Amino acid sequence: MLLRHLRKIRIILSLLIFAFLLLFFMNVHGRIVDPVAEFLLRLQFFPSLLRFTAIAFAASSLGFLLILLITLLFGRVYCSSICPLGTLQDFFIALGKRLKPKKKRRFVYTSNRKFIIRYSLLAATLLFWVFGSLFLLNLLDPYSNFGKISVTLIQPVFTKGVNVLSGLLERLDLFFITPFLKQSLPLDVIAVSVGILGVIMTMSIWRGRLFCNSLCPVGSILGLVSTRSVYRLAFKDEACTFCGKCEKVCKAECLDSKNKTVDMSRCISCFNCFASCSNNGLYYENAYSGKKQLVKVDIEDKTRNEKRAFFLTLAGGVMSLPLLKKFAKAQVEPGKAGMVPTGTSLPVTPPGSISHDHFTGKCIACYLCVGACPTNVIVPSFFDYGLEGFMQPKLDYHKSFCNFDCTRCTEVCPTGAITKLDRSTKHITQIGIAKFLYESCVVTVDRTDCGACSEHCPTKAVKMVPYNGLWLPEMEPDLCIGCGACEYACPTEPYKAIFVESNSVHQEAIPLGEDHGPRDHEKDEFPF
Amino acid sequence: MERRDFIRKSFLYGAVAGLGTSALGSFTPALAGLRPHITKGNYDLAAVRGTDLVAMFESAMQEMGGMSQWVKPGQTVVVKPNIGWDVIPDRAANTNPELVGAVVRHCLQAGASRVTVFDHTCDNWRRSYENSGIEKAARDAGARIVPGNFERNYRDITIPGAVRLKDAKVHEQILENDVFINVPVLKHHSSTRLTIAMKNLMGIVWDRRYWHRNDLNQCIADFCLYRKPDLNIVDAMLVMTRNGPRGTSTADLVRKNSLLVSSDIVAVDAASAMIFGEEPANVGHLAIAERMNIGNLDLTKLNIQRVYM
Repeated sequence: MLLRHLRKIRIILSLLIFAFLLLFFMNVHGRIVDPVAEFLLRLQFFPSLLRFTAIAFAASSLGFLLILLITLLFGRVYCSSICPLGTLQDFFIALGKRLKPKKKRRFVYTSNRKFIIRYSLLAATLLFWVFGSLFLLNLLDPYSNFGKISVTLIQPVFTKGVNVLSGLLERLDLFFITPFLKQSLPLDVIAVSVGILGVIMTMSIWRGRLFCNSLCPVGSILGLVSTRSVYRLAFKDEACTFCGKCEKVCKAECLDSKNKTVDMSRCISCFNCFASCSNNGLYYENAYSGKKQLVKVDIEDKTRNEKRAFFLTLAGGVMSLPLLKKFAKAQVEPGKAGMVPTGTSLPVTPPGSISHDHFTGKCIACYLCVGACPTNVIVPSFFDYGLEGFMQPKLDYHKSFCNFDCTRCTEVCPTGAITKLDRSTKHITQIGIAKFLYESCVVTVDRTDCGACSEHCPTKAVKMVPYNGLWLPEMEPDLCIGCGACEYACPTEPYKAIFVESNSVHQEAIPLGEDHGPRDHEKDEFPF
Repeated sequence: MERRDFIRKSFLYGAVAGLGTSALGSFTPALAGLRPHITKGNYDLAAVRGTDLVAMFESAMQEMGGMSQWVKPGQTVVVKPNIGWDVIPDRAANTNPELVGAVVRHCLQAGASRVTVFDHTCDNWRRSYENSGIEKAARDAGARIVPGNFERNYRDITIPGAVRLKDAKVHEQILENDVFINVPVLKHHSSTRLTIAMKNLMGIVWDRRYWHRNDLNQCIADFCLYRKPDLNIVDAMLVMTRNGPRGTSTADLVRKNSLLVSSDIVAVDAASAMIFGEEPANVGHLAIAERMNIGNLDLTKLNIQRVYM
């Protein structure tokens, strides 16, 4: 019977989706990986929803509606198959089975009374968002956490492996494996990722998909929808023998085999129960087909509490959020001028991100851009944007700069935090402006030529002018796009003599002149 | 350099060279810098004007006596073009890819057992290798192209007699290959006025910031004391006369339609500077190189073959 095979189909589907997304996050590209992964990114719930608020009605930003529709029809297929963090948890659950003593391997139905916390957390997450901070969402969203874990923990291991391998092959004079240029990430960022991974791993080994049914905001939203879905899991009274096998394999702990009820708000449609039942005692029931066999236990009781909690949090949040906003803003404003010789307390946001407000309001901190950036100039921040932009990426010109012709981050961003730019628009998108510190320059201090800044400048916003027989940098700010090539190239220490100050709202730089082509040279004789 | 120091080092290097170890046998370290005007080939310098760069290169090599003057059968060769920037060949910020391909082919025809091409790029190396067209051209011609942007490929060296650049990290390919061929492109440069053959050697060291911080022009000259290329081939076809070394558009270019070949790195830079329209002595590192006796700045003293195609 088909229902018994659903589990296998789900496993294959989830592994494929996980593999494609992971490959994409590892920067492994190809004719198959790219379009498939890009499609799968569109299906990720909150990225799609954020994209909807950023770009509004475009086919590329309606994935979340499709997910809602699927959930309304079949329940939380998203959680069991499409969500990469769900599949990651399944790995941990499988690992846990091997680690645990036999008796503790089985799952037991838990009542959902304690799950008030679940909807309070969802309410708080949404409230934070409404008031402009993605702080909670970026900590809890499953796709964001999958991304963080991939880019900050898995990718470094992957690239290191490739580089060690290519290094060994180089010793044998073989150069067919291209090494990656990757910078090490800040320790605080890695620590947060390790913490997130630890929490998720512990929860899943301990209680299966507990994360999905307590902390996860997507799980909570889809849980609300799936209690109303058309097709729902139900016990077949005449076939069920109360053997309890289904309950033992239910990693959402939502099957109550004694009372023959299913808490659809927690069921993640993993179909383990179908596969476990030898009597076909469970089936998919059309809840609107008239014959109301569906047991409505819990739902009444539960929702009242949930709703109460939801509105309580809502009210509390409305009162307290302005305080948080204030705290965050205080962190962002560039205060204490003069304390730091260079640098700016405002981070530079990627080209295409329109403004600080747009970027911090849309970025889910999945780090896809961090992993995809060929020059590694995009790095995770910590509190650079304040609490409200916790861990969102920024451009760091200490170890790299933004490649003039590259638009990679604008192509991969799933949320619309970084909007797509074509090359010519990127060429005039001013994300910051370089400031030259005359008193700190090699030319003025050491009295020797340098010009590393101007050398690297793609628009010649930094040009060299005569200066006591030497050549001194001079800025033409309107030409500057803030790519950071000058800051990166500047050799002075500990502070750079030229650095980029962020534009909190991106501006348009003066475009480079018309490309007239090479000029002809008249002389035919050699001058020597 | 103190005289005593010089004598001591001369003996040291003489002894090492005398041992004829395979690793050092083909090098002329340090001492080469102190022996001026040693050139191979029929002429000190060949200069060709024309419109077909590859044909010009072939003509120049024919005049000089062929690549076999520099590359003996079985020897390994490293070719160092300028692949500094992520721009297309039309922008002439990098060496012309077809010229690089032709150089590789000549080396292989002369019997080279292996030709390696690399550069320590300024822009992202993958993008520069690809978009410059040089990776493909070199591979198609039979060379292998290796990364230059990883510190693990660089080895510590010291430069006896250097004024500012007393030690550096040099790419292992420079140390491991028998013949070193430098294939720069002539361009305007924001701080050194010009970038040609000597300046192109900044692409074989790891820490370029040190040079910028410690008298750039002096460091460029100092490095030639360590290792001068055996042969320099300058692409002066499309010459970036402003906004160098990266350029902002093809409007920065002038068709100078020239190619120069010489074993003398200073002479080839001096001739290129004149094609650019700059007095060689006005170029900081060239003036220093002349003072340090690295090569010949005075073109009137050289045996030059001029070819108009």
